Amino acid sequence: MRFPGTGLAKGLAVTMRQMTRRSVTAHYPDALPDLPPRSRGVIALIEENCTSCMLCARECPSWCIYIDSHKDVVPATTEGGRDKSRNVLDRFAIDFSLCMYCSICIEVCPFDALHWSPEFEYAELDIRELTHEKDRLREWMWTVPAPSALDPHAEPAKELGAAEKAADKARAADLSAAEGAPAPPPPDNSAEEAP
Amino acid sequence: MSDLLEALLRVLVVLVAFLLLPLLVGQAEHKAMAHMQSRVGPMYAGMFHGWAQLVADGVKFVQKEDVVPRDADPAVFRIAPAVALLPYFVVMLVIPLGPGLVGQDLDVGLFFVLAVMGIGVIGTLMGGWSSANKFSLLGGIRVAAQLMAYELPFVLVGASVAMAAGTLSLTGIVEEWQPWWLLWQGIGLVVFFVAGLAELQRPPFDMPVADAEIVFGPYTEYGGLRFALFILAEYAGIVVLSALTAVLFLGGWRGPFEDSLGWLWTLVKTFLVAFVVIWVRVAYPRMREDQLQRLAWQGLVPLALLQLALTAVGVVATA
Amino acid sequence: MSWVQVLFVLLSLVAVASALLVVTTSNLVHAALWLVVTLGSIAGVFLLLAAEFVAWVQVLIYVGAVVVLLLFALMLTRAPTGRQDDLNVGRVVPAAIVAVLVGAVLVSTVVAGFHDVQLDLERAVVGSASVTGGTVFRLWVLPFEVLSVLLLAALVGAIVLSKLRADEPAEAGED
Repeated sequence: MRFPGTGLAKGLAVTMRQMTRRSVTAHYPDALPDLPPRSRGVIALIEENCTSCMLCARECPSWCIYIDSHKDVVPATTEGGRDKSRNVLDRFAIDFSLCMYCSICIEVCPFDALHWSPEFEYAELDIRELTHEKDRLREWMWTVPAPSALDPHAEPAKELGAAEKAADKARAADLSAAEGAPAPPPPDNSAEEAP
Repeated sequence: MSDLLEALLRVLVVLVAFLLLPLLVGQAEHKAMAHMQSRVGPMYAGMFHGWAQLVADGVKFVQKEDVVPRDADPAVFRIAPAVALLPYFVVMLVIPLGPGLVGQDLDVGLFFVLAVMGIGVIGTLMGGWSSANKFSLLGGIRVAAQLMAYELPFVLVGASVAMAAGTLSLTGIVEEWQPWWLLWQGIGLVVFFVAGLAELQRPPFDMPVADAEIVFGPYTEYGGLRFALFILAEYAGIVVLSALTAVLFLGGWRGPFEDSLGWLWTLVKTFLVAFVVIWVRVAYPRMREDQLQRLAWQGLVPLALLQLALTAVGVVATA
Repeated sequence: MSWVQVLFVLLSLVAVASALLVVTTSNLVHAALWLVVTLGSIAGVFLLLAAEFVAWVQVLIYVGAVVVLLLFALMLTRAPTGRQDDLNVGRVVPAAIVAVLVGAVLVSTVVAGFHDVQLDLERAVVGSASVTGGTVFRLWVLPFEVLSVLLLAALVGAIVLSKLRADEPAEAGED
């Protein structure tokens, strides 16, 4: 038989137990939050990697990336060679009042020029000031953390796997060369190892 | 002349207590409630754990504009907060802190307290009616219904204690109090506390101000200082209810070292009861109007009558 | 005149004036609130006459319960927030005559009953809780019990009336 008032006592007990525990409040302005390395705080730009290919601006669902560029002519370095042309970035701006933090621009960038930074304290009093230019985006690049280590037993990165495979092959070739009588010299070792 | 001076001094001390204790309870509520909900509550005002939060709130309220709605009844609207607040001050005058430590010891102290506490509700009713707002009116009706339901058990168990002690004087009741009364008057203690909570419209009996459905009941149209007075009245009510519970049922200043530390005992007991008031607020959801009425008429009134019979038997048996 | 007498006169004036306002004001809720003032000042008069217990009973029952009940009924039924001009009806004059007559009867009863008995306020204990209790439960115990039977009858009557309504909804609709 249930003793009357058990439910009431249980309610009191729950709140009392909760009071003796530490609160879960994040003391934000006093203590900065411990954010995971992949946090989508703000988009940072490595200007040097950018080729002004416009992929990010075109893929952006909210059209918040503005890119201006022009072509520079690089004179030929060899005699009789052709002059090369190169894209030079004039303006790269992201309007964070439009950005929806979808990460598509970062995914599509073929040269890893865009990165997520966990930095989030860039509130402004005026919405127009939320459009940040490339120098500000470059500054944020310094706050981008190194990628976190892989989980134990995780599959190694593709590049790493390819390199290791090549190294194994080379070692096997070396071994066979040592065992067999005069073996043909191995093919261009260095070319094979390059990923 | 010195009599007058002493009386003035006593009133002044009670006034300070009247302004200070509700703030203490309010701050305790801020912090205790926050921690019970895994929060920390105010942290900034006053530099140390937000101790000055309520002072800051008060300053804010004072600065606000004094708005009286166009269709309101201006005179009634304006004096309602004072009518709600003053009775608690008057009640505090007669609650004894220790032997002799009382604003004014009355022969019929218990009766006085019960009578004056009922007046405060009229202030809330006046506010509810004069705001010319449907939510306020609904809240006012609920306040009146709640008062009528819970005043009866409240007074009945008060009478039970008076019967047990054989006196209506609050000081006399504490003098007569014995530890085993906790058992004998146990039902009375619970009924008194619950009915008192309901009269103060504290959660879980806050149907009259239920903010999710009728905005803020009778206080909907109030703002600024007048609103602050209503809130102060609520917290003064908690102090008065806690002190009364401590004096009537928990033996006031009785306890170890009562000769030198009696007043401290009363304060400790008062704050313990006030903590339970806060605790109950956090633990339980608001009761529906029909549940409120059923609890009063089918739960508390019979219990109060049972307590009264128990007390009568006890008094006759031991006499 | 001692200060007690001054206070007595002042409180009586307040009581009479607010009582007049209760019946003359054209705002229904104001009437109820003026009633609070009337009953409160009467409680004050009781206090001055050393009838401490009766004074607080007056506050507890009349101010705390009866007026709240009145306000509750007002709010539940009409809750007008402004003046109502239909409050003054044609029965003002007869009502006033009845009031004056009742007053005269009461005054003459009191005068005939007490003549020039003086209440010694310094040593009077007539109104303390123990004296009141003793008087009611020793000297006047029979009238007291009769009164309680009357109240019981009223309670039973109320229950019977509400039961009648609940059992015969057809009849309830007719009235």
